[in-house]
Amino acid sequence: MNFRQEKLANGLTIVAEINPDAASMGMGFFVRTGSRDEDASVAGVSHFLEHMVFKGTDTRGPLDINRELDNLGATYNASTSEENTFYYATVLPENQDRIVDLLCDILRPALRAEDFNMEKNVILDEIARYEDLPHFKTFEKTMATYFRDHPLGNSVLGTNESIGALTLEQMRGYFNRRYSPGNMVLAGAGNMDFDGFIEQVTEKCGSWQRFDVGRELSAAPGRTDTVVVTDTNTARQHIGAMSPAPSRQDEERYVAHIAATIIGGSTNSRLFYALVDPAIADMASMTFDGLDGTGAFLTYLSCDAERAGEVVDIFRRELKRFMDEGPTDNELIAARNQQAASATLRSEMPMGRLMRIGFDWTYVGKYIPVDEHVEKLLSVTKEQVLALVRRYDLLAMSMYALGPIEKL
Amino acid sequence: MSDEVLIKKLPNGLVLLGHPMGHVGSASLTIRLPIGCSDDPAGNEGAAAVGAEWWMRGAGARDTRQLNEALDVLGCCHSESAGTEYMTFGASMLALRLPEVMAVYGDIVLRPRLGEENFAACRDLTLQDLESLEDNPGHKANVMAHERYMPHPFGNPLYGSEQSLSALTAEDTRGHLLGRLSPHGTVMAVAGRIEWGEFCDLAERYFGDWTADAPPPRETGQAKGGFEHAQKDSAQTHICVAQKSVPACHPQFEAARVAVTILSGGMSSRLFTEVREKRGLVYHVSTSYSMVRDYAGLFTYAAMLPEKAQETLEVTVGELRRLGDGIEQDELDRAKTQLKSSIVMMGDSTSSRSMLLANNWHFLGRVKTMAEIKNEIDAVTSKDILAYLEAYPAKDFSGVVIGPEMPDMSAIQ
Repeated sequence: MNFRQEKLANGLTIVAEINPDAASMGMGFFVRTGSRDEDASVAGVSHFLEHMVFKGTDTRGPLDINRELDNLGATYNASTSEENTFYYATVLPENQDRIVDLLCDILRPALRAEDFNMEKNVILDEIARYEDLPHFKTFEKTMATYFRDHPLGNSVLGTNESIGALTLEQMRGYFNRRYSPGNMVLAGAGNMDFDGFIEQVTEKCGSWQRFDVGRELSAAPGRTDTVVVTDTNTARQHIGAMSPAPSRQDEERYVAHIAATIIGGSTNSRLFYALVDPAIADMASMTFDGLDGTGAFLTYLSCDAERAGEVVDIFRRELKRFMDEGPTDNELIAARNQQAASATLRSEMPMGRLMRIGFDWTYVGKYIPVDEHVEKLLSVTKEQVLALVRRYDLLAMSMYALGPIEKL
Repeated sequence: MSDEVLIKKLPNGLVLLGHPMGHVGSASLTIRLPIGCSDDPAGNEGAAAVGAEWWMRGAGARDTRQLNEALDVLGCCHSESAGTEYMTFGASMLALRLPEVMAVYGDIVLRPRLGEENFAACRDLTLQDLESLEDNPGHKANVMAHERYMPHPFGNPLYGSEQSLSALTAEDTRGHLLGRLSPHGTVMAVAGRIEWGEFCDLAERYFGDWTADAPPPRETGQAKGGFEHAQKDSAQTHICVAQKSVPACHPQFEAARVAVTILSGGMSSRLFTEVREKRGLVYHVSTSYSMVRDYAGLFTYAAMLPEKAQETLEVTVGELRRLGDGIEQDELDRAKTQLKSSIVMMGDSTSSRSMLLANNWHFLGRVKTMAEIKNEIDAVTSKDILAYLEAYPAKDFSGVVIGPEMPDMSAIQ
């Protein structure tokens, strides 16, 4: 494994982890922008813009990009979250030059009115799609409850109203404020020619103008509210909970990750044995969500409506017990080994490697080899886990419930 | 990368498949048992799904917690699921842990506890899975379309019904599961940094003494067919229609695969271009190929705002039919490149590779090398695709609509 990096004069950082034995190569632009960087007048613009990036450039029409990507046999997609917009593709190594040419080009989209108006229909349909998925809605609304009055509570998709009213000029304005080469990282991974990569990227992206991009990083409030939304059209009771945790930049993120695995991993966790194993709930999982300058533990519970009260009582009791006692030796070893192995396995695929180095650079501004991640996960101690969950207080949470029940 | 596929059949009937991949550090194991929801006894539908939950509630000397803990300590990422024709155990780990993981799976496969004390909870979880389908109408539409299209018993509902689940008892379910548990029809596939000889020795050690009669064959009947409207006050209308296709063992299989890729293989595919890009009717439209060993279907799914249901249905089915009118050379080339590229890129994933080995064995009774698959794709011509579409045209649909209203289906009859 060979790490390389380069920075263009306009601030575009390029990082790559090269593995000549891989069957494929992947590349991706990690743009440090998302719904937390929007104000209410443009709610949903980051995600809508992500769609528009595939709609053409000055030299490529709306259907050309799709056709070229498929001609290359590429695996590709893009995603938008609260704080990142990520464009990526994986191809066979012999197609490196062509995918670099294409991805670099689309990051300077033409943003044509005709395409904008057509794609607006698709975005409105996507909003409707998630309306029918209460599980997804619960995640979004739990965040909105916990981060109320903070930009991290913004919806990624926006609403029918905000998308309906959004203009192309507003989208152009947003692009011109956020898509500076200094506000993104270009990552590569797998079987690639790095020198050729740099040469081509310099030619394609070297002329992009740099400008200052900020982000509102005020402290997150970490609300402790409970919101119950009654919807008898929903069959199951969906419950989300969010409480404070270290940020994605914090060295303690490894401890938080192990703590979440012990409390709410998919099997062999406190919540699994207390709720899922006896079938009191069919889902009970906790994850650590490290964010820019803040972080949270996010729990999702799903159960029969009539058992919602019982499920929440058990959930709270387990958190309290964990804060009192901390993990056992067996729990700690199992969680450490399991997470260390998962990190290694994920890194075997160029895509997994790409995501790791791209997001590490976005958040902590440095390259962290997978072995270092593994070592840090394996060195987490019982004392560290206990101290962390007490300091951050697992019970200082917001809850959001969606389903048949009227109160919690 | 080596394209060598290794096969060994143990004297007890168990089939071992291997693909050594030198450039990785992991190994992935796929174990397929001949116990699927198509084997569920009549009136006891859901038995296999309950079985997949129940199976991990203790094995050999370990109870549930000890079993989960043993796998986690070994850094083994595992999954268990019931499907139409088999139950699958998947496990990925660092290759040096494979011997210890194999020992644990020896207990899991041969000595599951299936204890009375855990049965009710596993049945209840399956009931909750069944109810959860209501909160994912897109998934539910696809599941229901399969149930209508596939001939009996392959259209059995995976999670059964409230009634069939209530009828299950621990004793009957255990008897049914263990009655089908046999080395005959079981496949164990491994891919990654492995020594084939060592793997075979491990398999002999932990599974060599296993003996049981072959499970009884399935008797095939008729499909339900027809259309169904499940009324729901949903934000979107979800439509899934099924049409006939050919299974992997059929000589026209590769032509069918290329046809599906032209229809739905990427953002330049016909459905994506015509339904989403040019008309903005939907966020999601796709055709997917789905099969059991002897039967296959194409399932086309789209979800849209209810007021766009009629137009979307007509444009989508129009595209399914238009494929039979002719195929452009560049579409054909593109589809072949996409298929071949995805196969080569799979070479970086030990879990995808081990699953593909097991699938190949199940569907074909042998394993194709990557080179063979690539050659077969290369050989497909437009003429082959048109011949396939003539034999299996886009008609005689069955399917499901979930949403406020049923569109006028006469448009596609």
